[in-house]
Amino acid sequence: MTAPVRMMDASRLPTTVFDHRSHMWWGTLGFMLIEGTTLFVCVASYFYLRVNTDSWPPDPAELPSRLWPTVHLVVLLASLVPVVLADRAARRLDLPGLRRWFVVASLFALSFLYLRWKDFVSLNVWWDDNAYGSIAWMTVGFHGTILFLQVVETLIFTGFLFSSDFEERHFSDAADSTFYWYFFVGSWVPLYLVLYLSPRL
Amino acid sequence: MTTDSLLLDPESLERERRELERAWGATPGLRGWLSDTDHKSVAKRYIVTALVFFLLGGVQAALMRIQLARPENTLLGPDAYNQVFTTHGTTMMFLFAVPILTAAGLYLVPLMIGTRSIAFPRLNLYGYYVYLIGGGLLYGGLLLNQGPDAGWFSYVPLAGPEFSLGKRIDIYAQTVTFTEISALITSVEIIVTVFKQRAPGMSLNRMPLFVWAQLVTAFMVMFAMPWVAVASQFLAADRLVDTRIFDPAAGGRPLLWQHLFWFFGHPEVYIIFVPGLGFVSSIVSTFARRPIFGYPVMVLSLVLTGFLSFGLWVHHMFATGIPQLSESFFSAMSMMIAIPTGVQIFCWIATLWSGRPQFRLPLLFVLGFVLVFIVGGFTGVMVASVPYDMQVHDTYFVVAHLHYVLLGGAVFPLFGAFYFWWPKVTGRMLSERLGRWHFWLFFTGVNLTFFPMHLLGLEGMPRRIYTYLPETGWGPLNLVATIGAVTIALSVVLFLVNLVASLRVGAPAGDDPWEAPTLEWATSSPPAPYNFHLIPTVQSRSPLWKRPPDAPVVTGLRSDMREILVTTMLDAEPDSRMRMPEPTIWPLLAAIATGVTFIALIFTPWGLPLGAALITAAFVGWGWPRARDTRLQREERGG
Repeated sequence: MTAPVRMMDASRLPTTVFDHRSHMWWGTLGFMLIEGTTLFVCVASYFYLRVNTDSWPPDPAELPSRLWPTVHLVVLLASLVPVVLADRAARRLDLPGLRRWFVVASLFALSFLYLRWKDFVSLNVWWDDNAYGSIAWMTVGFHGTILFLQVVETLIFTGFLFSSDFEERHFSDAADSTFYWYFFVGSWVPLYLVLYLSPRL
Repeated sequence: MTTDSLLLDPESLERERRELERAWGATPGLRGWLSDTDHKSVAKRYIVTALVFFLLGGVQAALMRIQLARPENTLLGPDAYNQVFTTHGTTMMFLFAVPILTAAGLYLVPLMIGTRSIAFPRLNLYGYYVYLIGGGLLYGGLLLNQGPDAGWFSYVPLAGPEFSLGKRIDIYAQTVTFTEISALITSVEIIVTVFKQRAPGMSLNRMPLFVWAQLVTAFMVMFAMPWVAVASQFLAADRLVDTRIFDPAAGGRPLLWQHLFWFFGHPEVYIIFVPGLGFVSSIVSTFARRPIFGYPVMVLSLVLTGFLSFGLWVHHMFATGIPQLSESFFSAMSMMIAIPTGVQIFCWIATLWSGRPQFRLPLLFVLGFVLVFIVGGFTGVMVASVPYDMQVHDTYFVVAHLHYVLLGGAVFPLFGAFYFWWPKVTGRMLSERLGRWHFWLFFTGVNLTFFPMHLLGLEGMPRRIYTYLPETGWGPLNLVATIGAVTIALSVVLFLVNLVASLRVGAPAGDDPWEAPTLEWATSSPPAPYNFHLIPTVQSRSPLWKRPPDAPVVTGLRSDMREILVTTMLDAEPDSRMRMPEPTIWPLLAAIATGVTFIALIFTPWGLPLGAALITAAFVGWGWPRARDTRLQREERGG
């Protein structure tokens, strides 16, 4: 090929980009939509069973306790503070800041494991008592898998931030990890309202 | 971004090509083979695996047809028959149709939009292994006399813990889970690839209709498959840990299963059908020698089909005593969805009418598709009517309808696609003569097998019975159907012979044997691991037909590592460069961890903590950067 060819030079394009310019952001959004749909299916099933049952919770089940789930909700919302700060540090390409806020976020993440157990117990019903107990446990459980994966990912990523393998392009991955955090906290709010408050209505 | 006119020096081009070959080529050896993340290799494995499942599902179909060929036949007993028809349906829907049609997208979409890779190539490989494990589980179960036996939609309470003992239904539930994981992963990959990796200039309104069809399918998968994934976990939990979600004695509702299943199950039909529409548009345009008539209307029809397909699910449940208002709503929706499909069929006819059609083999299959699918569409409008549906519900009329729709809507276009893209994938042509025999035998066989089933249904023959009495008078039509099935089998054998013969002695295809308009024909056959040496730019909907002589090419991407060009979502303007990950063995290991988890969950709830531990380990192994990645990055920084 010796004829003159017009060229579009890509060599000066950036390699670290954030938000909708990044692949991982779109991939994360895709998995949020999928997981959001699974949680929606749980809630839809909850109400399907509820409208077809005379009393809810069915006798003799007790109402769920509000104390620990509310504590957990507050802790989840509080965790957004270090996560937002980590997100901002990532965008500034500020590694010490990112490390600091990911360590704080990891401590929050560890507390979620215990608090999630309290969410289960606070339902005041076992999964095999009746359909109400089953769907409530399954819904907390489905969100629990998202929570568990986020905890694992956060801990591993925090470790990785301190290793010599960390490179500039990983700042974008850090921002996407915080993006997913917003989803897993945000998706719990309607579930909390449905599972712990709506039976009192 | 600047556009310069420069001379491309042949020597540096050749050096660059060698570097690309090294960077994108697979690592040799077994481990390299198991870790190969090239989207074309993964897609080919999907397609070969799905074809094997198609043959297995076909053998089951043949067994059923032989059993039913005459009254009171004794080849299969009732228990074996139940396992065979359930495995047949589960195989064809979950292990054949969806995987092979989305795999066509995995192979072709990156080539059609002019990029070097699929988004998330390692996840793609993981998805394939998970699918393979799911298929292995189903057939492992069948071999151990634990094949699922409650139908591909496994209604509770029959499929619940009270009436289905043993592990048969659990195997069904986890097979469904595996295939859904795989399909969901594929959907994310297709969406991100289409949104972010199109060649410069390929704005959304210049995208090939095949890519639109794959995009719409991916969105349908994303919103439909989670329903059955959750439902199958509910079913597995009811059976394993005594949850009571479907148990009416404890406030559960068996009908909930039907709602959850069909909220997935109806879009599923369109998930299978829409990629077929994409095949048809590519084939019609190429052989009519003109762009598709009414491109914007075609795109809107595809999108509309996607939306409407979510409003039909209750038409599978007309016989369950639902309120009359919803019967009317779902009846109207079921008739309405015929409209966008009708629009597309008219657009294809207009394209052929105003073009210069060449009746090559792929186009023949498209014509077969139109005829067979229209029959299925007509009976679909018939069963959309509630009073008619009540008459034929659970009879062979429905069996006839669904096979006309699925074979017509998916398998005819799929065979057409094989003849059309096989030369690109292998570099060799298929025999046109054998192909015509294949077409006519298949077309005859399909009609001979399934048309009599309409009549059997109207005569009252129920589905899923393993035999019948001579006095029913159903014998002769059943015999005709069986002869039809033999004809189909013969046609499939000819097809396989054609594939094997082509690999051995097929005529070389060249880059573009059909003089087609889309980018996949602009590269070699088979394409190199990096797809395109110089990334093309796009100026029209038919880039190979209307290409200005001074169309620029993209330079400046790294050739010593797996780097791709990322473009903007709407207009495909160059935006950034991205390095794709190197192949590793971790997708396989992570898939094994996933497999162990869900298979353990068939037997014990301890699968949950076990799975948590295994998946954590897989996360660590997968996520940590490889040494080679890091070395490349350091070199980049240093240089």
